[in-house]
Amino acid sequence: MTTTTTTTPARDQTNRLTMTRTGSKMIADYWEDLFVARENGKKIVWYNGGALNPMFQAAGLAWCHGEAFAARLAAQQLEGPAQLAGAEYGYNSELCSYSRTHLGCAVLTVQGSDDPQTGVVGLHDRVDLASKLPSPDFFVNNYAGCSTGQQWDEVSFRIFGKDLPIFNISHPFLWGNKPDAGYLRGEEWDSASQYVRGQLVELIDFMETQTGEPFDYDKLNESMTYIKRAAELRQEGLELCKAKPAPATFWDWIACIAPINFLPGDQALVDYFQGVKDEIQHRVDNGISGIENEKYRLYFDGIMNWNKLGFLSRRFAEHGAAVLAGRYIQNAFWQEPQLIDTSDPLLGMAQHYLLCPTNHGSKTLDYLTLKDTADYDIDGLVFHATRTCRAFTGPQRLLAKSARDNLGVPSIFFEGDVADASFYKDEILESRLVAMLEAIDVARERGDHKVAGSGAEVAWPS
Amino acid sequence: MTRRVLGVDLGSTTAKAVVVDEAGAILASSTVAMGAVSRAGMHRCIDEAVGRAGIEVGDVSGTISTGYGRKLVPGIQRSYTEITCHARGVAAMVPGVRLIVDIGGQDSKAITVDKDGLVVDFAMNDRCASGTGRFYEVLARAIEIELPELGPLAMRGSQDLEVSSMCATFAETEIVSLMAQDMRVEDIASSVHRAIAGRTLALVAQVGRRTPVVMTGGVARNPAAVHFLSRALDHEVLVPEQPQISGAYGAALLAMESFLRTSPPVPDVPGADFIFPRVDHTAAGHSCAGCDGHLRGKVELGAAIPLRSS
Repeated sequence: MTTTTTTTPARDQTNRLTMTRTGSKMIADYWEDLFVARENGKKIVWYNGGALNPMFQAAGLAWCHGEAFAARLAAQQLEGPAQLAGAEYGYNSELCSYSRTHLGCAVLTVQGSDDPQTGVVGLHDRVDLASKLPSPDFFVNNYAGCSTGQQWDEVSFRIFGKDLPIFNISHPFLWGNKPDAGYLRGEEWDSASQYVRGQLVELIDFMETQTGEPFDYDKLNESMTYIKRAAELRQEGLELCKAKPAPATFWDWIACIAPINFLPGDQALVDYFQGVKDEIQHRVDNGISGIENEKYRLYFDGIMNWNKLGFLSRRFAEHGAAVLAGRYIQNAFWQEPQLIDTSDPLLGMAQHYLLCPTNHGSKTLDYLTLKDTADYDIDGLVFHATRTCRAFTGPQRLLAKSARDNLGVPSIFFEGDVADASFYKDEILESRLVAMLEAIDVARERGDHKVAGSGAEVAWPS
Repeated sequence: MTRRVLGVDLGSTTAKAVVVDEAGAILASSTVAMGAVSRAGMHRCIDEAVGRAGIEVGDVSGTISTGYGRKLVPGIQRSYTEITCHARGVAAMVPGVRLIVDIGGQDSKAITVDKDGLVVDFAMNDRCASGTGRFYEVLARAIEIELPELGPLAMRGSQDLEVSSMCATFAETEIVSLMAQDMRVEDIASSVHRAIAGRTLALVAQVGRRTPVVMTGGVARNPAAVHFLSRALDHEVLVPEQPQISGAYGAALLAMESFLRTSPPVPDVPGADFIFPRVDHTAAGHSCAGCDGHLRGKVELGAAIPLRSS
């Protein structure tokens, strides 16, 4: 039986990182600054996909990441008016809800310039927020592995009357199936990296034309130095979460996405991730866990269901399930900081744009998923079959089968969405989750749960 | 004294209860059609099953519940999901089973089990009532016959009318459209059954086709549903004598196993039938099986509470 009712989980058994509050303040300040960027004399770029913000920072621009704003609205349960505006414009609910929300924001921003009351259903405050984004001066698209993402800014370009410049970066899909291919290696990887790097050089020319100012390479190096350090601290913090019980969870790291994904590369960013790591280290040293009574360690594959972040964290904790790893955390957002040469960062940046978790063939995803499953001693995988993100969902059945066949780790699937709560059915997740935990209990009692435990070697698929 | 335990499956449209003895043999069962997750239906079902077993509710040594309404069943030791209970019940009903297809009122499941009858993998219908008992109800209503008549009618159909809808609501529209085209109701009925079997096959594909195959749930009483599933799977589909009670039976078996595992020999305490030992819940090796997770804190080892069973 399906139901749209979401029951409130029992007492909150999560122990979220306190640094999350610091991050929330930084993010709120960032958006407030962006809303008045025009008044502060900044040129504004709208973009999607990989984290181009250090490029924009070096060019003296203000930047708006479309997905990030859609996620923010959804996390605050404020996405409705923007999505309705997108629907009125002609986009149905099967379109990526990130893009549907952000395109709705674009519609409201355009409308807001001459009629701020042209909201959809009279929720004026929410409409007001959704229409707060300052109009762009130009667009840049940097989307890898998702055809919708690659067209998204083209559509924004049309909503704004086809008058504004747009720059599209093309990313080869990393199939990973040539004889010399592997994660971060092989001719395919090398040539794709150089191809995208070349486009970043062209982007710099484009931005110089738009701003009328020479690009500040020193500023880029400085920004990337801060980002690299922040990314290293993030990786060190993630490494600490392999401890048992885990000191922090996937949900804590979800709350850290915005800072690493689009906040300026500066000392504040480094300080934030130093604080996150220190808090986790303190928890490890003092045996403090991320949830009460950790009984199961789970992997979460799928883009975040932003409407349900708090709810899902409590739902899993209620069952003693510590969600520790996921493609959206371990395999995204400057996750390979060693690739960044801070004196010449363009190649390392290009490589990270290619490392978008939707831009890999199944061999690489299989390798990465199994590796994290073994490294974090995962008991079960939870696949968030993101309704409007087929790029992420496509290989999930293959990953589930591989985890079962190679590591003896079971999986469940539930449907939800990144920014549209109507696709989430709590009973479906609850029944599948509990059934999997019961099966894990039984397998543990028999002593045959998992064929590989913590630290098992995971080889590149043959 | 012979122990009797109870399994209750409070599903979306029917309540099922089974009483078993210490050997796991079914003493009595009951199935009550009701409104959605009905408390009244559940109580009637439990009373019937217990009455048929010739005992009182107070004589029941333990109860485990399952189904959507499992949390509503009173006096339970704990609850399990339908997945675990159906697997356990069917494995006892049909030893050697490897694939279970359960189609209930509002959901359908494909469950693979190992040689010990334990769950290996499972898949359930998502989003809607596609491929569930609800789908058959829609069909019966549209062609104006009673549900039990549906299977025999569908078995007489011959032409494949390619009913394609995944949604029960839209399927009704499609059925009405076919009737407006004056298609034979037998062909409409068989085509809908064929379409549902196709949906079920997609569910089976998620867990992998294994044999022997057993079909359970209320829909398994429909001979056409079994026939078309068998054709879709290209393999014989077995149906237990009482396909609706497999979840409740599995719950009862789990209740008995839990009872036998946690119940020590009857102590030499005047007036006591059994004792519950106190254990340290942080003690190494302590199994939480049968515990609902609400027990907290340390209690001293070695102490015991003598209890009378009635």
